Amino acid sequence: MSNMISEANWKFHWRLTESAGIMIYLADFRGRRVLWEASLPYVTIDHQRETLDVKDDPGEVHGPWWVPLGARTLEGPVRVQSFRGGVELSAAFAAGPYHYTQLWRFHDDGRISPWLTIYGPGVHDQHTYHPHWRFDFDLDGARDDAFERFEDNRWQRVEREGWFPYSGEADEHGNVWRQVDFGSGAAINIRPHSWDDAEVFAIRYHDGEWAPYSPRSAAGSATFPSAYVGDEPLDGDDVTLWYVAHVHFDQSFPYTAGPWIKVSGLGK
Amino acid sequence: MAPLKKPVKAAKPAKSKPKPAASAGRKSAPAAIKSPPFRPPPRPTPPAPPSTPDSSKADVTRADATLFDPLTPGEIADALRTLTEDRRLSSMAKVGRYRVICNEPLVVKPPHWMAGHRLVRVVIYDYAADRAVDACVDLDAGVVAHLELTKGQPMLSRDEEALAVSIAMVDDRVREKLAIGDTPQSTLHYWGRTSEDLAYARRSAAVVFGRPDGHASVIAVVDLIENLVTQVVPAELW
Repeated sequence: MSNMISEANWKFHWRLTESAGIMIYLADFRGRRVLWEASLPYVTIDHQRETLDVKDDPGEVHGPWWVPLGARTLEGPVRVQSFRGGVELSAAFAAGPYHYTQLWRFHDDGRISPWLTIYGPGVHDQHTYHPHWRFDFDLDGARDDAFERFEDNRWQRVEREGWFPYSGEADEHGNVWRQVDFGSGAAINIRPHSWDDAEVFAIRYHDGEWAPYSPRSAAGSATFPSAYVGDEPLDGDDVTLWYVAHVHFDQSFPYTAGPWIKVSGLGK
Repeated sequence: MAPLKKPVKAAKPAKSKPKPAASAGRKSAPAAIKSPPFRPPPRPTPPAPPSTPDSSKADVTRADATLFDPLTPGEIADALRTLTEDRRLSSMAKVGRYRVICNEPLVVKPPHWMAGHRLVRVVIYDYAADRAVDACVDLDAGVVAHLELTKGQPMLSRDEEALAVSIAMVDDRVREKLAIGDTPQSTLHYWGRTSEDLAYARRSAAVVFGRPDGHASVIAVVDLIENLVTQVVPAELW
């Protein structure tokens, strides 16, 4: 099976990684470059204890854990299927009591759905999944980008790297964050799932700050992507975005996490 | 949902975390130890890095998709040989107590001088020094182009996962808690939440035992430095 797909106004490549699920790279929409690469570097899982009495609540006794989504946990083949108005990739992963289906859906109107369906029993009911997606958008080229968030009823430019949680505000289409290319005016719009409790990290691109092979840096240090966040300016540079969801097991399962992403301004 | 995301929030930096002055506009990974790159004898025709990026390479839209292709066995061997011959890792290679975590193709963007080169990212855990090695090997030039030695904890290799299972399976405290039909279901990379937990700073795995229907019964935490089980926890109490 070829790893290049040209369909539904999209042309993109994919490969199965060792730990970050299916990676998409060099994606063009209507002949214009949109994405350098994107993947799902990891899904961490936290556990809680259920107690009605606050004074007996031990908090979270154990730390998080994770298992790579890659060749060692893949169940069956990576599937490429057309659907009405687009094409999608899907792969099922199983790691003991945790089961996932990773999806990349490309719509002919410029939408991308990088999603993760979560199911399986877990070790007990009180646990929270934290899928982390990393997107390196290169909209019409790598540089000349800006990052904006919708706040106080309007789009506001974010000047420096940081962590930007969903505050509940969104534009009329539900978009909360966007990456804009100065040259073309094209934009990548990101709409969170309303139950994802989502947040976005915006980080200036640097060689060496590639997708990590673990959420964990040194003991006592910030985890990734926090460890990559500094105070560097974003305006006019190359920006990397991380979308992080927090999905508690009391959600109805199976639950599909992940944002809607829509490319706009690249013409008909 | 808000109270449930406490641990993640706690790990987040302030929005305007100051950068180390030494970074001078270029970031480095936390606790990274960097030293000048060792250049082994050149290969017959190594492509010289251009002093200035040419216009075609500076365009991400002209990136070569084949650079993302999976590595061949020969490329993996080449990358590991190059890395273990690097003087900065001589102590690791000599002692030989390390695990290769993974090798994957790496593609850097123009205008970086390595854009267009066949690169391999190699991640190793060095048990002798209790450190992670994260390297980029340039196969075209035959050099280690980027090397970070950190106290980070990369994912477990398949060998480490298998080792953790074998250690847990022979531990008496684990065996006495297993019910008939319980088998190892999965091995996860685990770290403790607080410094009181041995797994906070030490390389550890959690082996989940359970029934074939997916129901978990017992979790054993294995310290991979000392090769022993440090915790045995019923799944419902995890």
